[in-house]
Amino acid sequence: MVATVAQCVLLPVLGIVIGLFFLGLYRKIMARLHWRYGPPLIQPVIDILRLFFQGGMSHGAVFDFGLVLSLAGAMAIILFIPFAQWCPLQGSGGMLVILYLMLLMPLGTALSGGEAANPNASIGISRKLILALGYEVPLLLILLSVMSYYSTISIVDIVRGQQASVWALFSWPLALPGIAYILILPAVLGVRPFDTTTAPQEISSGPLVEYGGKYLAFEHIIHALSLFLGISLFVNLFLGGAANPIVFFVKILVVFVACVCINAVFPRLRIEQAVSYLWKWPTAIAFLGLVVVSLVK
Amino acid sequence: MVNPVLLLAVPLGLAFLTPLLAFISDRIARYVPVAGMLFNCVVSVSLIPSVLNRPIIVQTGGFAPPFGINLVAGPLGITLAAVIALVGLAVSVYGLAYVKEGATVKYHVLYLLLLTGATGVVLTGDIFNLFVFYEILCISSYALVAYSGDKNGVEAAVKYLIQGSIGSGLALIGIAILYGVFGTLNMADIARNIGSTGILNTTLFIALAFMVAGFGVEAAVFPLNAWLPDAHSSAPAPISAILSGIAIKVGIYVVVRIVFTVFGAPSMFMLLVVIGVVTLLIGEMSAFSQNNIKRMLAYSSVGQVGLIVFALGMATTGGISGGLFQIISHALAKSLLFLATGYMIYRSGSMEISSLQGMGKRMPLTCCAFTIGAFSLVGLPPFAGFPGKFMIVRAAIAQQQHLFTFLIALVLFGTIIEACYFFRIVQAAYFTGPREEPDAGKQRREEAPLFALAPMLGLLVFIIALGVYPEPVIRLLDSCAAELLNRFDYIKGVLG
Amino acid sequence: MQIILLTSFGGAFATYLLAKISSRLRDVCAVIVSGLLVVFVALLYNKTPAATLIPSFVGAPLTVRLNMLSWFFAIAIVVVGFLSIVFSFSYIKGKERADFYYLMMLLVNAGMIGIVLSADLLTFYIFWEIMSWGAFLLISYNRGPALRAGMKYIVMSVIGSVVMLAGILSLYAVYETFVFSELAGRIASASPAYSLACASMLCIAFAIKNAVVPLHTWLPDAHSEAPAPFSAVLSGILIKMGTYGLILVLYLFVGVKLFISPTYVWRGFRFVLLVLASITILVPSFIAVMQNDAKKVLAWSSIAQAGYIILGITFGTTLGFAAGMFHFLNHATFKALLFFGIGAVEYRTKTRDLNSLGGLLKRMPITFIAVLVGTCGLIGIPLTNGFVSKWLLYKTLILEGSPFLAFIALIGTWGTILYGYKLLHHVFLGQLPEKYKNVRKAPASMQFVLIILSLAVVVLGILPGIPLKLINTIAVSMGMDSMNINIFGIASETGALNTVNILSVLAAAGIVVWIILKASKKSTRISQEDNYAAGAAIPAERYSYTVDFYNPLYRMIRRYLRDIFDEFYYWIAGRVQAFSDMVRRLYVGDVGCYAMYILLFLSALILSQVWWRVW
Repeated sequence: MVATVAQCVLLPVLGIVIGLFFLGLYRKIMARLHWRYGPPLIQPVIDILRLFFQGGMSHGAVFDFGLVLSLAGAMAIILFIPFAQWCPLQGSGGMLVILYLMLLMPLGTALSGGEAANPNASIGISRKLILALGYEVPLLLILLSVMSYYSTISIVDIVRGQQASVWALFSWPLALPGIAYILILPAVLGVRPFDTTTAPQEISSGPLVEYGGKYLAFEHIIHALSLFLGISLFVNLFLGGAANPIVFFVKILVVFVACVCINAVFPRLRIEQAVSYLWKWPTAIAFLGLVVVSLVK
Repeated sequence: MVNPVLLLAVPLGLAFLTPLLAFISDRIARYVPVAGMLFNCVVSVSLIPSVLNRPIIVQTGGFAPPFGINLVAGPLGITLAAVIALVGLAVSVYGLAYVKEGATVKYHVLYLLLLTGATGVVLTGDIFNLFVFYEILCISSYALVAYSGDKNGVEAAVKYLIQGSIGSGLALIGIAILYGVFGTLNMADIARNIGSTGILNTTLFIALAFMVAGFGVEAAVFPLNAWLPDAHSSAPAPISAILSGIAIKVGIYVVVRIVFTVFGAPSMFMLLVVIGVVTLLIGEMSAFSQNNIKRMLAYSSVGQVGLIVFALGMATTGGISGGLFQIISHALAKSLLFLATGYMIYRSGSMEISSLQGMGKRMPLTCCAFTIGAFSLVGLPPFAGFPGKFMIVRAAIAQQQHLFTFLIALVLFGTIIEACYFFRIVQAAYFTGPREEPDAGKQRREEAPLFALAPMLGLLVFIIALGVYPEPVIRLLDSCAAELLNRFDYIKGVLG
Repeated sequence: MQIILLTSFGGAFATYLLAKISSRLRDVCAVIVSGLLVVFVALLYNKTPAATLIPSFVGAPLTVRLNMLSWFFAIAIVVVGFLSIVFSFSYIKGKERADFYYLMMLLVNAGMIGIVLSADLLTFYIFWEIMSWGAFLLISYNRGPALRAGMKYIVMSVIGSVVMLAGILSLYAVYETFVFSELAGRIASASPAYSLACASMLCIAFAIKNAVVPLHTWLPDAHSEAPAPFSAVLSGILIKMGTYGLILVLYLFVGVKLFISPTYVWRGFRFVLLVLASITILVPSFIAVMQNDAKKVLAWSSIAQAGYIILGITFGTTLGFAAGMFHFLNHATFKALLFFGIGAVEYRTKTRDLNSLGGLLKRMPITFIAVLVGTCGLIGIPLTNGFVSKWLLYKTLILEGSPFLAFIALIGTWGTILYGYKLLHHVFLGQLPEKYKNVRKAPASMQFVLIILSLAVVVLGILPGIPLKLINTIAVSMGMDSMNINIFGIASETGALNTVNILSVLAAAGIVVWIILKASKKSTRISQEDNYAAGAAIPAERYSYTVDFYNPLYRMIRRYLRDIFDEFYYWIAGRVQAFSDMVRRLYVGDVGCYAMYILLFLSALILSQVWWRVW
């Protein structure tokens, strides 16, 4: 009981820390790829601390509430996704709950951004939702293949199943959805070239346009958490999770760096380009994967 | 026990009395039809229990059948007589308010004659006597269609007259052939002579064909019904109501009586079924594309006739009592519709459906009556049309034949079309036209006068009562069906 | 039970008559009647009375009965009915023909109660028809485009009725009974083809009412044109009478064992139903995304949500059945809530055009919260009731080996997210237009309804065990396996659900975040005119992005989302009309021609006999 509560408290903190580290790493890698020196790794932490002391401007109760909802949702999901052997809330609905809780992040931001009453924010949200629809099609196929293959909706059971045999990514037929997941991972994470939602040059950072001070800090934390969540989901589903936290951290780090490095060289996609990309090869592969899985079963 | 002859004698006598009374006072003359129909109503209803046991045979002049002219007051005849009297009563009350101009005395005389004829047809047991009453009915209706004296009315009446005369002529030829073959005019006697051969010889068949075609004109089955839309739509409202509600039912009765009882020709049943479906479809489809509300109702009558003939042609107890139920419910509903439209047209001055806009506001009760009549015709519960349609469909499906499955699909298709045009009118009456502010003081109400409303509401009550609790009527109709189906019981009942 | 029917029907007419005296009396009477119904139905919980209404009606008795299944539906009907009456107070005040409106509302309600209470198909059909034409009159109530909607509705409804009539009587022709309990299980004794034909006829009728694609075309118009309180009833309850009928057919007449058995016939039948259900989820969800009329969005959404219900019910497992039933209840709550919410907005702003609204959050906060909760339920955000039913559905689909159906259902949810947010954003978020600056908040009676339903959505979401226990009882009585239910969810080896965990985690996280937000430096409150506009002044007219909100997506999917069935039906209707016109021309108006018809008929009759002796 105590251990569970401790996990409940620590895991979100750990998630935020790792997420912020990833943010810093992201900027660093991007800078290096652009032949720049780049900011220090802890720059995001510094930013956030500074922002917290700036107050900021609010547009009303829903403006605040949306952000709270978004961040709370993000923190809650961490408890449903195993971090190595820790998964405090494993018996509470499994993958389906994760899927639905993941909605809270964009939805909260969207509510908050909507209340901000700025067309830039609205356009950003519209793009975000379309993009999400774009990657959800293959993503759902992928998740369904995995769930049907292991005949469970519990993510812990899926991890256990892989640890008993091989990683799903390297097993037939789950390799297909694995590949598809790799193809859509940058879209799920919202990093280059899928950062249309918050494109600063086009729509003044989209949903972020009206945020300042602590609101912007919150938004950064949410972004950090979403990076962490997207990758740890992948690691759990296809790279067999991990037996201890260190290995888990190494795995997510490797996946993240690989993902960023490969995709950082692409220019930003327009939203239609992004969606049509997502609905072509990744969907085809994921669909094939689901067909094969349901035939095999 | 009352003598069924009174059902004929009283209205006939009153008809001739009316002009005399009119010398004394026009007011009294106006109430004569009401009194006559009230009397008929009471008498025929009071006769129902006794005729259910055994039919009452009335001999005229003391000659026993087959020699004298006789009346056969069986369940079927008395039931129809009751319906005729009931609808006649309602329409005559309506007439008190509606018929104000022109030759009112003539109107009342003709009206009473029409009903006498109708009652006579359903009660008589002699085929020539039947023809005579039939002619009384027809001729008075020709005259009544032209009653308003305008161009449309006269034209329609002439068309009706021409076609009706052709029909009567054909029927008379048929009767003549029968008389030539058997030397008797008593229906039971003819039936006994024909026996139960099943297959008719050519002479008899020709007689049958002539009579079916001849009486079929009044029954308004396709393709003999071309007079109907004109006549029904051009006649004054009460006459339309009585023509649609009563006259064509009498035609159906004659055809059915001849086919079932006189000839006992099972091979003709299929003909009735097919004609019925064709009539139904053509009637409903023609009604569907009408903009003139009275024509629409007239075509709808054609459709209903088709349904009734279809049901009767099935020649099963369920089918026949369904068909008879439909006769009753249609008589009530259609006359209600014509009565209601009568005043709606009177107020709006046009027969176009589009002119009914906002009628729900101007004449709420009339509109309500119209709506319920329409719902009943479409066959929606809890109105009288529902049990009828239900029984017909049940009987058809119970046949368990592919042909009937197909036909019933067509019938139901007709129902759908019927629903379309009736609902369109209901919408037009209630939900179009200018929106009125409810707070803007007392609204303009132009309700129909009390004498017009009362019969409508009366019919309404019957429609709802029959829809909610049809069982007694169905039981009555089951014995009517038995009378039609058991030809030999009829023969034995009449000839002893 | 007769008391219930008497109250419902008698109350309807009593209300109408009292309305002639005073409108206040009418309102009071309507509320009393609908409130009494709630009480009566609630009192009958877990009782199984049966009664005969009319001993003989066209040869069969009209009987009523109550069991858990019908109680479940009945309570939803009376509660939503009651709320819609309360909501109508201010909504209908000052409109024309309000008396008639109340009469019809109560009559339709009574018809629906009759449907779920009836114990035989004849009674069922009678009440069904009463409900159908009552609904027609209400849909047409708003005039203008509502006329067309009403026509479309009633034509499809009548088609459904006649098909149902044919189905009922086909059953009767073989089994000679209308009574449910006697029909139950006996259907297997007829030949598979015949019972399949009967079942399909009934299913078609119910599918029309339930707006299953391709029989859905009446619904978008009807829902959006009806008066708002009736839209709520229509969408929340009335179309679900089709679901009730389907349950009767599939689970009672056919029997669930036979229905999900691998028999060739039933397998195919079930497959067709499942495919239709998934199309019903998928396509309307995305059509809803493209709508610009708030109620049209909700209408299309109703079709899609009904698809979830049908999917669950036709899937046939206990979980699937529970998902369908629970989703029915949920849909009744959150869709009614949404229609009421939008109705309140329409009442205040006189428009439902999404592109011209906006920013109303500041003016109608309660309504916003209600619509937010409703949307969350619609999407299935955890802690709303929609989540639980969808969870059940997905779980059974995934674990019983139908991942593709699960995929379609999940993608449908994404459509829901898109239009759900669109609805919220366009109505309540963004800039408040100048002309709505003085909009007042919804009247108290409306707010009351909104609050009650919002609470229901959340409470059922946190304590799903309450209805699920009931549903479990129903499922067991239908011969299905029992589920392991507790108050916060469902326990099972292949994945449990525990809403209390989700609740506590979210609440804790929320509180922590909230404290951090409040504890850090205080923010300044700014108005919508103080926004970032790249240095320019905020445009006075409209500084918001609403028209073509998901434009890139529209461009991609629009061409696939034509309502071809609607076009097809219009084409058929056009053909029928043209054909009717042709038929009408048989009556040329020339009396000579008519005389010829008569003679032709006679000669055809005689000649056919003379030559072929057909008769």
